[in-house]
Amino acid sequence: MATTTAAVTLTSDLMSTNMSVSATTTCMKAGTTADGLDQMEYGYVDLPTGDEYDLIATTPTASKASKLYIKNHSTDETYFIAITQNSQAIGKLYGGDWMFIPADFHDAAGDIAITANGGINKICYALFHEGTALVTT
Amino acid sequence: MATTATISISSDIAPGFGGISESMTLTQAGSLVDIDSTTGFSIRKLSATGAVDLVTMANELVEPKDSVAAKIYIRNIGYRDVIDKSVGVTIGINAEPIGKLYGGDWLMMPLTCIDADDITVNPENDNTVVIEYVLFYEEA
Repeated sequence: MATTTAAVTLTSDLMSTNMSVSATTTCMKAGTTADGLDQMEYGYVDLPTGDEYDLIATTPTASKASKLYIKNHSTDETYFIAITQNSQAIGKLYGGDWMFIPADFHDAAGDIAITANGGINKICYALFHEGTALVTT
Repeated sequence: MATTATISISSDIAPGFGGISESMTLTQAGSLVDIDSTTGFSIRKLSATGAVDLVTMANELVEPKDSVAAKIYIRNIGYRDVIDKSVGVTIGINAEPIGKLYGGDWLMMPLTCIDADDITVNPENDNTVVIEYVLFYEEA
């Protein structure tokens, strides 16, 4: 079984007692405890301003499990990318920010789309999944 | 007053993939000033299918500023030390399903915090499951 693990450590001193949360998960295929995600895409792109682009070119199979990591590697903190799924705004990743979600590519319109602001944003992404609808040539 | 988040991903799917290890300090939009507001750490117990609000943006005690640098962490922690990785809870924004957190899974994502973009949770079945979460945001 392929094994993909994702761990997070979150700390904050905004409250009177410092908060520290750590979590680790093994990324499994949908509805199973015995079989891990076994396919992935990994990329690094320069994203110009002006248009919205689909970050994921091939659509992972609907109703399957997927995990998507995106980081904005721009060093200018005023740069950001706006992220949408199926035209619903998720939020903005400013220079240095990352996100990790269980992306739901429920249909062809469910792609993750990103729009750059401020200048050319440098984006790293990784999609862990269990199958895509490949496009024939 | 800093809030930091570190992610580490390891995988043996692709030969040569060296993994990912990145940290970020949660800052206010377009600046290096630390983010300064949070809902605090909370849990929500769910025992039936059907989407309910985990975060109702218009009902927060302090109004979050819209369309800036908010982040939310959510994790499916199962129930009474039983974590079922075969059953999930769908996380949504404004009725749009973002993805399903199976037992033990977590997410960290930015938010718009506008009033229409409530965060919803919808369990896959009627078994009890607990969701933990914390929202960091800027005050309006």
